[in-house]
Amino acid sequence: MKSLLLFAVAVFIISGTSMAQKYYTKNGKINFDATAPTSPEKIEGVNRTATCVIDSKSGNMQFAVLMKGFEFERALMEEHFNENYIESHKYPKAEFKGEIKQNDAVNYSKDGTYPVKIKGKLTLHGESKDIETEAKIIIQNGKISAMAEFSVKLDDFKVSIPGIVADKVSKVAKISVSCSLEPFKS
Amino acid sequence: MKRKKIIKYVLLSLLVVIAAAAAYIYKEYNRTHRDTAKLKADYNLPAATLIREFETDQQSANKKYWDKVINVQGQVKEFARDEKGFISLALGDTSSMSSVRCSIDSLHTKEAGSIKKGDQLAVKGICSGFNADELLGSDVILVRAVVNKKNK
Repeated sequence: MKSLLLFAVAVFIISGTSMAQKYYTKNGKINFDATAPTSPEKIEGVNRTATCVIDSKSGNMQFAVLMKGFEFERALMEEHFNENYIESHKYPKAEFKGEIKQNDAVNYSKDGTYPVKIKGKLTLHGESKDIETEAKIIIQNGKISAMAEFSVKLDDFKVSIPGIVADKVSKVAKISVSCSLEPFKS
Repeated sequence: MKRKKIIKYVLLSLLVVIAAAAAYIYKEYNRTHRDTAKLKADYNLPAATLIREFETDQQSANKKYWDKVINVQGQVKEFARDEKGFISLALGDTSSMSSVRCSIDSLHTKEAGSIKKGDQLAVKGICSGFNADELLGSDVILVRAVVNKKNK
């Protein structure tokens, strides 16, 4: 009887830990690359302070990033990004809310690399647009890494690129996301 | 004869103006970011106070602090180093979910390398705003941050 009870408790604890449903990070990395093919230099910024939450049970995910936190190598480029293109004083935050398709295929308690599709809404520069992309979820020792790469048409978000820099700044920006998430303990 | 001289002067001064403009454009184009360590802080306050201001009135706090150099004091709640060596810290009260999150400038990772959880210190950085999150706790974010031993 006693051992049965112990077994029940053990099962409860084990299932409890593997049921850590939410995973999060506040140091997510987002790379923004709008280098035109003809550009002699890279138009590229990186943000290392993105917040990301993934609910392993429902497959829901959320990102939030402050635009002013994108760092460019050249000061002038960063100022233009903030003041002229993204207008980060008016639209300080970008958000993505979506879900992992085939979330059932991801076994969050088993190490492995799981290719998935992500679908959701990206809000940037005050405009919202549906986005669909391929992504990778990597499980290793209870930690999750999430990686994705997709392109956004700047026009879709009403970010206009003046003709004078059209040979340098691409109309399509490549966004790469890379996050290491930890289980959320409430 | 006189007219020739005038033309010469005009051309010469035009050349000087063009050269100056070119030099300015070149310099402006290649301008790098100013080192936060050398910037004077616009605001100087404890992490908890800064968080409280954002939590009470996000809009006016954003107006006041956004893109400003801020020096904050607090306890290190979290210390993280990623695979490329970039360091980020969270300052604030351990009893609160909210913190001031600082992403350390890559020029200054060395000084931040020996920091441990629980250390009391000052960090100077540029405020990129506030990320409100009921589940995970809200954050005031500082980028290009440096550990500020002088606390000024």
